[in-house]
Amino acid sequence: MSPADTPPPPEPVKQLTELRVVAQDPSVQAKGEVLTEKIRVPTEHLDPGPRGARFYVLDYDSATGRLQPPATIAPNGKDRFARTPANNLLRSPAFRAQNVYAIAASTLATAEAALGRRLAWGFEGHQLYLVPHAIPEANAFYAPEDGAIYFGYVPDGKKQIQTALSHDVIAHETTHAILDGLRPRFAVPGLPDQPAFHEALADCVALLSVFSLEAVVANLLGEDKDGKLPPAQLTEKALGETALFTLAEQLGVESTRGSGLRRSIELKPSRAWRRMREFEEPHRRGEVFVAAVMQTMLKMWAERLVAITAPSGADRSRVVEEGSTAAAHLLQMLFRGIDYMPPVELEFEDVLDAVLTADEVVAPDDRHGYRTALADRFKAFGITRPEDRIVDITRGPEPDYGRMNFAILRSDRDEVERFLWENAEVLKIDRTWQTRVQFVRPSVRFGPDGLFVSEVVTDYVQRVQLEAREAKKMGVAVPKGVKPTTALELWGGGVVVFDQFGRAKLHQRKPLSDWKRQSRRLAYLARHSLSDTRGRLGFTLSTPRGQRFAALHVDNTRAAEDW
Amino acid sequence: MSPTSNKSSPVPKSVRLRAYDVGFGDSFLLSFEYDKALDDGRDQRHVFIDFGSTRWPKPNPPTYRAIADDVATQTEGQLDAIVVTHRHKDHIGGYGDKRAAATIAGLKPRLVIRSWTEDPRLAADAKGPRNVGSASRRFAASLREGQIFATDVHRALKGERGIRGSLAAFAAHQVPNQRAIDALDAMAEKASLGARYLYAGQKSGIEEAIPGIGVKVLGPPTPEQWPEVTGERDDDPEFWIHRRGLLKHMLSETAKGDPVEGRGIAGRGEKIPPGPARWLVERMRSQQAHSLMRIVETLEDAMNNTSVILLFEVGSRRLLFPGDAQIENWSYVLKSKQAGKLGAELPEVDLYKVGHHGSRNATPRSLVKMWEERKEKLTSVASTLPGVHPGKSEATAVPRVTLMAALSKLGKLERTDELPAGSLYLELKGSTATRTGYSVQHG
Repeated sequence: MSPADTPPPPEPVKQLTELRVVAQDPSVQAKGEVLTEKIRVPTEHLDPGPRGARFYVLDYDSATGRLQPPATIAPNGKDRFARTPANNLLRSPAFRAQNVYAIAASTLATAEAALGRRLAWGFEGHQLYLVPHAIPEANAFYAPEDGAIYFGYVPDGKKQIQTALSHDVIAHETTHAILDGLRPRFAVPGLPDQPAFHEALADCVALLSVFSLEAVVANLLGEDKDGKLPPAQLTEKALGETALFTLAEQLGVESTRGSGLRRSIELKPSRAWRRMREFEEPHRRGEVFVAAVMQTMLKMWAERLVAITAPSGADRSRVVEEGSTAAAHLLQMLFRGIDYMPPVELEFEDVLDAVLTADEVVAPDDRHGYRTALADRFKAFGITRPEDRIVDITRGPEPDYGRMNFAILRSDRDEVERFLWENAEVLKIDRTWQTRVQFVRPSVRFGPDGLFVSEVVTDYVQRVQLEAREAKKMGVAVPKGVKPTTALELWGGGVVVFDQFGRAKLHQRKPLSDWKRQSRRLAYLARHSLSDTRGRLGFTLSTPRGQRFAALHVDNTRAAEDW
Repeated sequence: MSPTSNKSSPVPKSVRLRAYDVGFGDSFLLSFEYDKALDDGRDQRHVFIDFGSTRWPKPNPPTYRAIADDVATQTEGQLDAIVVTHRHKDHIGGYGDKRAAATIAGLKPRLVIRSWTEDPRLAADAKGPRNVGSASRRFAASLREGQIFATDVHRALKGERGIRGSLAAFAAHQVPNQRAIDALDAMAEKASLGARYLYAGQKSGIEEAIPGIGVKVLGPPTPEQWPEVTGERDDDPEFWIHRRGLLKHMLSETAKGDPVEGRGIAGRGEKIPPGPARWLVERMRSQQAHSLMRIVETLEDAMNNTSVILLFEVGSRRLLFPGDAQIENWSYVLKSKQAGKLGAELPEVDLYKVGHHGSRNATPRSLVKMWEERKEKLTSVASTLPGVHPGKSEATAVPRVTLMAALSKLGKLERTDELPAGSLYLELKGSTATRTGYSVQHG
């Protein structure tokens, strides 16, 4: 065979496809053009829609009944919009399909990379519908009942708003869907931190993912001199006042959540929010969490800049790079922590605990002091790491594996249930209550040092239904106004993490019989009359979850004054 | 704590409030009784505040006519003022009943008070009073467009069930109620003291009709006074005009029937083939109804925020009538610097007409806090009917349980929905010399 006959070597499998998206939203422009950015998403077989393994873009306008033809994006792996003038993109239904697909896929990929596995949705089916022009409202929401995210628009010729062109809205809603898949029980009426965290995580992911785009960060920084930014512009405070504040202002122009983001950026560290009733409203409470995270981001960024700042200042391009790196890193830490959060009864302390613990597992050496920075910022808001909620099982009495099958234990819910039953004393799980293992999920992650961590993360819930008078006998403080016969549902649960050998190593616990916590939860539910239509407390909130997400995004300016 | 009126005027010796049991709505007759007859030979003065219902109590509901007849009896043929807090059916529906309206008109009301948004000069785009500028005119125009939108929704869905039926009922609540407005306009034209279209800080004119009392107009602010009152999205007529353009399609999309009869793929009329796309399109029908409901809710809030808020000062008594004002309306008098001392008497209120039938957004917590911080009891009167307001969730139910509980802690809470079946009214009476509670009866 002559060299000419030798077949060419096979092309390497393309893992990532570059797609153009609107960097923030159409209101943010540079030199008269809408700011766009190329992002990389996992390559997959895409049918027209686009319709891939995890997303199905269906451009149906429920107000006009018009279904756009399915868009073909990235034919032959090449972005068809790569050279289109930016301002022409906005009129193209195919581009808005690409925009929602690419940003949602990128958000999911970030979460999957952080958690080290494929993430399932919280509904039946493998494809999340993305409907980019769904409803004539300045609103967008995740509707788990339909397995869809509906993006609204304002049908006003002069100042048309399309939420499907807002990076932060798409990332925010996709995060709701991701978290719902990981922690479906967060929809159970719980402690006030629980719904607040749903909003807060979605906002943090939205802000940090926008922030991790270099074109965005570059646009947020003030004027430079010969490509250099002076040291005075690079302090934590200065970066907050310019970059972060500008971002929140810009997002406020088209996002339906602008004022909330602005408020959280301006929130000064304090513990006072704990005593203020308005901070029991999910949005307002979530702002505290967002504030702590974004202030951490600023600190991480400023500290990364120290090494590259000379007395004359620092190269603008390096400042941009460090900002997007810090944002991307923090985003990864947040996603990674979800696995270690309890499946029910979540409190901000658990979130902090989970994020720090997950980071310790993957990156034992906190070289840049990120964990310290995060813990400090949360502490300033009165949120501290609890001492005994995540227990290191390897340091206590050894669980009994005698009757366990390690291979099955890594994949089978019933085997994990047997493990919990057999080791209830060691794990301090009360056998009185019905225990149900919800998920057994493998996880493979790499830390920044290349450290390989393989785990199996399982979670379980416990619940009991009883009357208020029965709960009272057990030690739950029943608030005034709750009738003795009122039906209650109490929850508990935890997470057990197994190592690569199938041995339990960590146990995150929220025992059902923590009567102090149950009393706090009941007081909160009663205070806000969060009952179902039958007057029962702790069961459901009687509205479809989709409608609750929709309502959440409409207005939150009344939090301090309403009932 | 002295009334703002002429101090030489005789002060009424007692005040009486008759709350008619209109179910979900408001209708109050506020009467002032004097020691002796005034110049015109009468020893009483009467203000009729709102007259409407969207759902009557069961069984044996009263009628608008029975209420109008009772008002005629109580006032002995002469009403001094009519107050219409805002344009919603549950506050003006009674004037749409020809005979009931004629009865009230026959009482020759001397003064007719409405919100600044009802001022006919706004529609003509003429130069309005101070504080009513272009933003106000745009807001008022937006409300008019919104009401046309609501009329279209109601017309299309009337008689339907389920979410579409709830939407129809809710939209019906927002329609212009033109017949009632015409009746009020006619009364206003004949009123000897004229018509007033009020915004915060203006003189009410009631003092001229009723000597010895003071009345403060605490709301609504105009957008010029307080831009927050318009909310974020509903102050633009274009908002509603564009939605009206879409409405026909929106309604047909929420209707039952062939799931694929929309405009089809890119408007070519092609049907959606069986499969996941068709499944989702089916699902989106109910989303559409919910979406329409949220759109109509923005109009509901905007209309409620046009409510006239009146504080009556009579002797030692302070009586507060806020209509259905929501937090955006209240916040002007409670928070703005511009309002100055307008709300200085709010901590002294001893009788509170519960705003918006006890909904979660109409009695600001900061207002309740003022009353919590004093020793004196508060008497609250709620004209309400549970199970009417849309939304099945407890959090959106009217009356809101947590608010009712808070008001009960402050003193007596009288509720029309707790009256014995067949009652026409709940009546509270108290001397103006003291602030110790009211005697209560029903009939």
